Amino acid sequence: MNIIGPDYLIFGVDDLPASIEYLTAFGLKPVGVDATGGLFEALDGTGIIVRAKGDPSLPAPLKTANMLRQQVYGVASPADLDAIEAELSKDRRVTRLADGSLETADDQGFALKFQTTKRRALMMPAEKINAPGAPAQRAPNEIGVWEDMPAAPRSLSHVVLFVPDIAKAADFYCNRLQFVITDTLVGAGPFLRPKANDDHHTLFFIRTPDYMQGCEHLAFHMGGPTELMVAGTRLVKSGVQSFWGPGRHKFGSNWFWYFNSPLGCHFEYDADMDKHDDTWTPREAPMGPEASQIVLFEMREKWAPGGPPPGAGKGPKPE
Amino acid sequence: MSGAAQQVITGRYLCHIGDVADGIARGFAVSGLRPKVIVVRKNGHLHAYLDACPHYTGGTPMAWKSDAYLNGAGTHLACHSHGALFELATGECVLGPCLGQSLTKIDVTITATGEVFAAI
Ligand code: FES
Ligand SMILES: [Fe+2]
Repeated sequence: MNIIGPDYLIFGVDDLPASIEYLTAFGLKPVGVDATGGLFEALDGTGIIVRAKGDPSLPAPLKTANMLRQQVYGVASPADLDAIEAELSKDRRVTRLADGSLETADDQGFALKFQTTKRRALMMPAEKINAPGAPAQRAPNEIGVWEDMPAAPRSLSHVVLFVPDIAKAADFYCNRLQFVITDTLVGAGPFLRPKANDDHHTLFFIRTPDYMQGCEHLAFHMGGPTELMVAGTRLVKSGVQSFWGPGRHKFGSNWFWYFNSPLGCHFEYDADMDKHDDTWTPREAPMGPEASQIVLFEMREKWAPGGPPPGAGKGPKPE
Repeated sequence: MSGAAQQVITGRYLCHIGDVADGIARGFAVSGLRPKVIVVRKNGHLHAYLDACPHYTGGTPMAWKSDAYLNGAGTHLACHSHGALFELATGECVLGPCLGQSLTKIDVTITATGEVFAAI
């Protein structure tokens, strides 16, 4: 089962115009979006599909107030869809759609869809850095930052779910869909990666009561920490509320910056996540501020040391 | 000393009543206080709460962008972290992760000239 990761996350929202404004400000590209919503794409074609909560084309809502309606997973080939259908049909209803994709639900009622991935291969350099002792990554005269440098989300990275029963969730994704646990924050839950993706995690669970089941956050990969901070700074300047960050997580090593959103969950920019293979031994750490980040910053308005140039200040004027 | 011709105001200045139209919520920074104070006016009544959602310890800011505190229909204050909804008049969470908990209510005094002061 070569599951690659989430292609799309589908939301049924309370305030569609606000959500459209938000997804655009976040740097996703509307594709065929109209007054009923639509797809907002990262550079590789993964993204968020948003519609008004009453839209009849949406999958059924969760039993909670959460606005997540469906997680659409991309798989490598049609043969993987056949394997998933064979496995999950053993104990649940799996619907085969006209385009070959599959619809079903996990053990806790999260709606799932599997499709031959729609993501496009990206050919772009990562953020380049120069450091003593290592070959320069940027050529002479190649500058690192400029005011209007691009900083667009590249790919849908991961989704984090509030789940009532972690053991049940981990069992379903690991034993039925061949996800692997990379690390665990004890007291919160495990990080998982699917078989056909070497990212530290595309899925993370946080244990919660039943009435909170839903999406805690979702994240998009950026080209590096600088792009993450440039995109986040632009978002805050546009008025969006920062929630947590910027900082760098310990498990996964990814840079992070989380923001509030009108889609009922946080949106995260992440960058420079660890890669793993099957030789990795999972770690454990107790959930808490120390385990969850190596560094944390808080944005402030741009400022520079030193007073204003002579004569430009508001100080008392000489008589 | 309410009723006195010269009101003595001990609270912190938030805004002028004209800054918050009916059906609108806005957040105001108060120096020395980390959360903003949300002021919301509905059917002529003014309510104020700390901009601190009770879902996560310590309280977290609730708008998704500046002054965007209401749900789509404008019937409730909403936390744009995980979608909790709060009654405008009481601050009680009626939907979402902090069900049954409440926002911290701030008492306000409105002067004859419309200045709104918070009792903090
Ligand atoms: S922090 Fe407000 S709903 Fe979760
Ligand atoms: Fe994340």
